[in-house]
Amino acid sequence: MFDINIMATLLKVIESQEDKNAFCIAKKFYTYGQFAQCISKVRNELQTRAIESKNIGLIENDDLETYASIFALWLEGLAYVPISSDAPIDRNEDVIKQSNISVIIDSSESTKFSSYDLIESSKLTNLKLNLKTTIISEEDLVYILFTSGTTGRPKGVPISRSNLSAFVKSYEDLALNITNEDRCLQMFNLTFDLSVVSYLIPLLKGACVFTIPKNEIKYSYVYELLDEDDISVTMMVPSIIQYLRPYFDEMNFPKMKYSLFCGEALSLKLMEEWSECIPNASIINVYGPTEHTVFCTQYKYDSEKALNYNGSLSIGKQIGNSNLIIIDENGKLVPSGEKGELCLIGDQLMEGYWNNEKKSKEVFLNIEIDGVFHKAYRTGDLCFKDAQGFFFYSGRLDFQTKIQGFRVELSEIECHAKDYLDKINVVALAIENKLGNNEIGLVIESEETDTEDLFNYLKSKMPQYMIPTRLRFEPIFPLNINGKIDRKVLTALFLKNKENE
Amino acid sequence: MNKEIIIDKLRTIFINVLEHEDFEINDELSAGDVSGWDSLSHMLIIGEVEEMFSIKFKFKELNKMKNLGDMITLIGNKLNL
Repeated sequence: MFDINIMATLLKVIESQEDKNAFCIAKKFYTYGQFAQCISKVRNELQTRAIESKNIGLIENDDLETYASIFALWLEGLAYVPISSDAPIDRNEDVIKQSNISVIIDSSESTKFSSYDLIESSKLTNLKLNLKTTIISEEDLVYILFTSGTTGRPKGVPISRSNLSAFVKSYEDLALNITNEDRCLQMFNLTFDLSVVSYLIPLLKGACVFTIPKNEIKYSYVYELLDEDDISVTMMVPSIIQYLRPYFDEMNFPKMKYSLFCGEALSLKLMEEWSECIPNASIINVYGPTEHTVFCTQYKYDSEKALNYNGSLSIGKQIGNSNLIIIDENGKLVPSGEKGELCLIGDQLMEGYWNNEKKSKEVFLNIEIDGVFHKAYRTGDLCFKDAQGFFFYSGRLDFQTKIQGFRVELSEIECHAKDYLDKINVVALAIENKLGNNEIGLVIESEETDTEDLFNYLKSKMPQYMIPTRLRFEPIFPLNINGKIDRKVLTALFLKNKENE
Repeated sequence: MNKEIIIDKLRTIFINVLEHEDFEINDELSAGDVSGWDSLSHMLIIGEVEEMFSIKFKFKELNKMKNLGDMITLIGNKLNL
């Protein structure tokens, strides 16, 4: 139950330790008492408004108001749709329209969203405490996150109170000892669901959440927090550590208790080195798609016998009531050891994409297990299970890739580029750079030409992390034996040219 | 090695990593002024600089580096110029 697992737990924390710190934002501490007041002032304002749609736009800022708004909305039975003011206007308008948003909460000094019914949260003054829960259906939503879609249009993943409550319960299976003395890192944009675990779990334990200011270079700031603020619990994407890797020999964080990773394949070698920097910590690899609420597996790294496949750590075993199934092309279960598409079943699974039955149909499947049919989500991830029941990730079935942990459909990039170039073919590829992180390479089927206008167009349509950072021209695309564009040859183009430089 | 040679070598590195030449090297130059010089390419540039001059930066030094002038001074110090 959401009200018991989440709301009541948080209210108990607030009541019992109002002078303890809840947040550290841009070097400034805020207590649970201040957080409670901030939640109340947003809720007081919400209660004066006529709310037509239950989905409320939340402009993402690194401040107390933005985090407090989430809980004010949940107390009112409303859902937040995070909106990044740095994202292109076109994309934001699409998200606002798709999710039927009428009210937007914005804590910015000067808002870019004045044409909407606006709550300017930093200007609110009614601090009267207002934290009593009311009865709200478990099926009501807590948030909708929009992820990259193949057709150039982002699709909304709606997560319900029952989904999130199931996740919080599953998290207990990690058996971590997080207390109100812990200092926890929250390095994710709210548009990315790893933010949810990073702010929510610490608050439910009465710990302090350390955030990253917007204009900072993430890995630099993360390092500063680890070094100067004795952070004890982190959830990170592996690429952050990858950037710090050349400097591991000067890093030592003995206060670190738990170092969690999610969002990308986790390199065994990287963890062997990282574990030297955090001598007293457990390293835990977790896995899960946004559609199945944050994550649903865990693997505790053991340096003595680290399970890995091709150098990537196992994603471990399911947590909570999540059920992991691997199927072949015909939808039949495959025996252990054999690769297939990973499907997920359980209470963390979303109902379906927001207002998008067609996409939902594509990803859902009814799977029969012991005579009972279950609704399963096809992850698009190629996986296998070993004889001991440990799962291993071995790649994607489609052209989705991860850039700094963000899910990117390469076809969405191609779609926008083709729209602009008109009849000229393009291919977007994931290219591994020297540091071992993914970048997006764009190959245009033409002679070399000026691309400034093209890139300006792409920047008006997609967030920064989706903009290609490498560019090549190829007069005619090579084809493979199946007559499809040979993406391997095109990928090699980037690597080969690099060597010649 | 004098400052001019350092600047010359830096120019080559920037062109290689960023794949364009739309910038002018001067002390005040910082990431915000150059297209494509973001937090990601920054680490690639640093890697190339370390290789080219056979030096090694400390992460703390990098965190304090605000513009190209800082980088040139730091390289100079490392090379005992």
